[in-house]
Amino acid sequence: MPFRMAIDIGGGFVDLVAIDEQTGQMIWSKTQTTPQDLAEGVKEVFQLSKVDARQVSQLLHGQTLVINAIVQRRGAKVGLITTKGFRDVLAIQRSNRRDIFNLRYKKPRSFVPRHRRLEVDERTLADGKIERDVNEAELLAACERLWREGVDAIAISFINSYVNPTNEKKALAFISRVQKERHPQSRLYLSISSDVTREWKEYERTNTCVLNAYVMPLMEGYLDKLTREFRQLGMTGTLYMMLSSGGVSSFEYVKKRPIETVESGPVAGVVGATVLAELLGEKNIIALDGGSTTTKASLVEGLHVKFTTDYAIERDEYSPGYPVKVPVVDIVEVGNGGGSVAWLDEVGNLRVGPLSAGAIPGPACYGRGGTQPTLTDAYVTVGFLNSEYFLGGAYRLQPSLAEQSLRTIAEHFKIDPVEAAFAIIRIANDNAAQLLRLISVQRGYDPRDFTLIAHGGSGPMFAAFIAEELEIPKVIIPAIPPGNFSAWGLLMSDLKHNVVQTMVTRLDSAGVEELIRRTYKALENEVMRIYRDEGITEGILLQRTADLRYYGQEHTIRVPVTGGDITERDVVQVRSTFEQYHEREYGFRLDSPVELVNLRVTGVVSVGKPRMKRWETTTKSVEEAMREERDVYWGGERRITTPIYRRNLLPPEGQLTGPAIVEEPTSTIVIPESFTASIDAFGHLILRRA
Amino acid sequence: MGFRAESDPFTLSILQNALIYAAEEMFAVTARTAKSPIIYDVLDFSTAITDARGDVIAQATGIPLFIGIFDFTVKGVLAKFGDDFEPGDVVILNDPYISGTHLNDIGLVAPIFYGDRLVAFAASKGHWNDIGGISFGSWGPGRTEIYQEGLQIPPCKVFIQGRPNRDILDILRVNSRIPDQVLGDMEAQVAGLRVAVRRVEKIIAKYGLHTYFAAIERILHTGEQIAKTRMKELPKGHFRAEDFMDEGGPDDQPLPIHVDIEITDDEFKVDFSGNSPQLPFSLNTTYPATVAAVRVVYMALIDPHARYNQGLVAPLKVIAPEGTVFNAQRPAPVSVYWEALTYAADLVWKALAPHAKDRLTAGHFLSVVAEIIAGMHDETGEAFALVEPNPGGWGAGCDMDGESALVSFADGETFAASIEVLETRYPILVERYALNTEDGVGHGQFRGGLGIIKDYRILNSRAELTTDINRARIPPWGMEGGQSGTLNYVLLLSEGRPPFRTRKVAAHKLNRGDIVSIRTGGGGGWGDPLEREPQRVLEDVREELISIEQARHIYGVIINETDLSIDTEATIALRARKRRERKKDLRSSDSEHRDCP
Repeated sequence: MPFRMAIDIGGGFVDLVAIDEQTGQMIWSKTQTTPQDLAEGVKEVFQLSKVDARQVSQLLHGQTLVINAIVQRRGAKVGLITTKGFRDVLAIQRSNRRDIFNLRYKKPRSFVPRHRRLEVDERTLADGKIERDVNEAELLAACERLWREGVDAIAISFINSYVNPTNEKKALAFISRVQKERHPQSRLYLSISSDVTREWKEYERTNTCVLNAYVMPLMEGYLDKLTREFRQLGMTGTLYMMLSSGGVSSFEYVKKRPIETVESGPVAGVVGATVLAELLGEKNIIALDGGSTTTKASLVEGLHVKFTTDYAIERDEYSPGYPVKVPVVDIVEVGNGGGSVAWLDEVGNLRVGPLSAGAIPGPACYGRGGTQPTLTDAYVTVGFLNSEYFLGGAYRLQPSLAEQSLRTIAEHFKIDPVEAAFAIIRIANDNAAQLLRLISVQRGYDPRDFTLIAHGGSGPMFAAFIAEELEIPKVIIPAIPPGNFSAWGLLMSDLKHNVVQTMVTRLDSAGVEELIRRTYKALENEVMRIYRDEGITEGILLQRTADLRYYGQEHTIRVPVTGGDITERDVVQVRSTFEQYHEREYGFRLDSPVELVNLRVTGVVSVGKPRMKRWETTTKSVEEAMREERDVYWGGERRITTPIYRRNLLPPEGQLTGPAIVEEPTSTIVIPESFTASIDAFGHLILRRA
Repeated sequence: MGFRAESDPFTLSILQNALIYAAEEMFAVTARTAKSPIIYDVLDFSTAITDARGDVIAQATGIPLFIGIFDFTVKGVLAKFGDDFEPGDVVILNDPYISGTHLNDIGLVAPIFYGDRLVAFAASKGHWNDIGGISFGSWGPGRTEIYQEGLQIPPCKVFIQGRPNRDILDILRVNSRIPDQVLGDMEAQVAGLRVAVRRVEKIIAKYGLHTYFAAIERILHTGEQIAKTRMKELPKGHFRAEDFMDEGGPDDQPLPIHVDIEITDDEFKVDFSGNSPQLPFSLNTTYPATVAAVRVVYMALIDPHARYNQGLVAPLKVIAPEGTVFNAQRPAPVSVYWEALTYAADLVWKALAPHAKDRLTAGHFLSVVAEIIAGMHDETGEAFALVEPNPGGWGAGCDMDGESALVSFADGETFAASIEVLETRYPILVERYALNTEDGVGHGQFRGGLGIIKDYRILNSRAELTTDINRARIPPWGMEGGQSGTLNYVLLLSEGRPPFRTRKVAAHKLNRGDIVSIRTGGGGGWGDPLEREPQRVLEDVREELISIEQARHIYGVIINETDLSIDTEATIALRARKRRERKKDLRSSDSEHRDCP
């Protein structure tokens, strides 16, 4: 009776989902996150599940260790060794003033101070030719200085190592050797930039390498502890970690490249939505995750989860943050969730978020001393949220406090609190709709071609309104409880490794097929080698993509490339696919040569997808699922007596017509007038615009 | 109770956001489709939506200078065409006396109709890398009239009802040295305009014309309200600042410049009267560009994070008599306008820095330090041109050290080139890209930020360098006893010749192996260096930004070389002695100290 199990650490909770691979039965457990020692929470949630450790064939894990360590500056003491002349790459950065009207602007501070950034004489040219070998005497001197500084880790990043990593590898070997000779007792973590990414741009790559080194010691300690504890419990199954790219990988791989797990948490929801889409025969989806402080969205076309390497930690409207060039699922985020505070700006405009009331004091209606109106208070006031059934009735909300919190806003606009509440909901919905516009319309996709899959505590509440705004025809609310959906997604994740090589070449240059063929071969060998190190040699599916642009442009577009030996015809095909994508995204083609920038290979090993259980209820009709009728304010003059249903009583094949509200313990599904809803055989709720 | 559904404040608010998104989407589309790094990487362009009168409703901006440009641009177009527009038209112009900046900046303006009613304009302005003139890149020193700076384009329809106007395109094509690139950039700009036109049409179709007009009225009104509120917090009274531009005075001496400012409860008047007549070289700016520069400092004071619209700048009045260096008239050359313009802004900055410490710093390296390295690539036979701004040191604040290696005032979300990208694209080897610890900074209780040193070795048989750098003679100003910053310059190193230090060259010949070493200055300091916390001085020594000798000499801090520790007693004694000596020397104490807010 082997189980596959997923344990996902989030900001507030640790979620566990396990599936019995024979019966399809699912087991859930949940506990609070233990920020001091994450492993404790993991152990606890495992014990709560009551699953026998010996019965677990695979454990998949998602964590927030890396992002927290970076954001809270709790990582290792890192030294950096770089090419002579380039010690200040981390300080100079890209020199942009992102906050352009702020004349007291400060850049993000480098993670390695100048006295631990050291240079050695060596040089590789832009075409990969080694102009000067690594000067070992200087390298030794640098090590001695860093030993004296007492660093835990050394990052090595040389100019142009993306095209030829030889010098970095030599430096790595040299330092490992002298470390063993001189300080055999102490552990020194080493990371070279070409190992972390083979993309160009020295600042971005160096920063990625430094952040990798910064979290290596922590990650190794954490994974070793987890492994020890699970093994002590008798678990013999394999242990996997979620990567930001949406795949999973062995603990051993992650110890060397912990930075690849920087967004390990949120991506599982996107993977889950994609798997669900496949089960339901959907091709193009937008995954929408509505949480208590933020809303996240990702667009998935043709069931291919897109990743980007244009990712940065702590980037916002006014700060460039820290670039991290590892594949991260393309997710965008806005500070807009159930706990978001509604406020009046200095000229009296109504705004919602990004400030959140958090868990303490929380929304006013929680009765924990919060007085600022939040989106949750607005939901309670208009009647979307049932004050008696919050978290399945575990917690009673206080509508009078919600209404009271709305007074200032209501008085300002000389309207009723309930109208103020609806206005808050509209503004919040507009924030979320803008997020979806950003990932669809702004990138050339028509939202009408997509299905929205909404999860998270607040996602199902506003999904229909956004669908209406963007003319999205269909919304799916999964049967998996929205609060555990990410853990479920983790369970559905395939093993995945991505490798990349920057190789700037025009497609019309002589011998380009041969060059592409050779590079793909090398990349594929690299992926196979990584899997071999993890003990996997079979079932590896290799996917090629290439980043291209018109000659002279900067920004690239990623297109799929066929497998096998690349011929002249394949190159023609690549070009025409590129032009098609370019036209979609930007609306025109150019009469210019096309240039190759990066070749990428992704190796995927599919995990078995468990069957979904059929939805079973004792009820036969939707009428039996109706619990009450409630006065709900739907805006304007529309105050409507609205039927309220219990989700677990809605029978398969049942049909609902808006306005209606469906309640379940962790979430509320709002069905506006212009929608109908049906329950499918697996219990998913499908909303359609009338 | 209740509102008319279509014009309640929440609908208007949502519509207002929709217009801002439209301007941003226009920006994103242009950035991603442009052919030149100066657009897609440096983001030397901007997009906006104006109302039918040409007042800016929403704007997306890569560099701050374009903030004040679109009202002049669209109003210039309206002045010529009146109501002679059709859907699908696009007007092109670059006349700097109408639309500000220089001939390289091409304005494109598309009318937006709803039905047959003109309701708005979409506008885009971007830097084209070459628009003719006496040398590649069009801008540079040595021009005496605008006729040498490239093709002048008065407002002309480059698209008529959606169809390209071949005559205009042909003129553009033969007047640029890189026609494919610049016309590609035009495509990108026009693609952006088209997106904005569609978006605005859709917005009106959804909300109705009445609501749309109510919303744009409200946008401008809200802007005015924000400005009014913030004006209350500004210091009131008369303020004056004087400085020097690097050249323009008699006998190649620096040129004195000044500004008078008067701030009342509802007016912010900036008066450049009495400044020099326009110069016979490119260090002039036209009125719209001067206004733009002042608007940036004004925005920094009012609210750096306010969404820009015309209402925000309603209290601002800029006076600059025609024919002067800050309001140049045809045929004055203006191709290096950004340097003159930054001097104008810097004057306002300098006048108000003592009174708005929470918003302004001491003087920064000021110059864009732009250079062009161009030639014919030996291997590909194609023309190449590296055109880029360089980062430098910013001034200290009343409570913080200045930032190092940051693009100048005239640039914003502007990226310094990546070395690895640059080496792939140009026959250049970068031998060093480092903080400029050689020339140092303006020292102070808080010190200025550091500039950079960038050494380019030329790998091509021949190439040429054009540059026009300021603050190369008169350094950035310090505040409240902080020292002046350091100078910007270029050092040319050629085998067998002594190093050649320069600030201005046009098409200077370079040979294989030559090194162009670009050095930018450090920012001005704030407060007396003897007041700097010894711990901060030690930190700068540890970081190898200053030497132990400098710590002693400038800051009066004694640091033991062996263990990098501060000798506290010796430091106290030395500082006391230095203060005494200084008093004796100057016979006056102007170290009057004011607190930070």
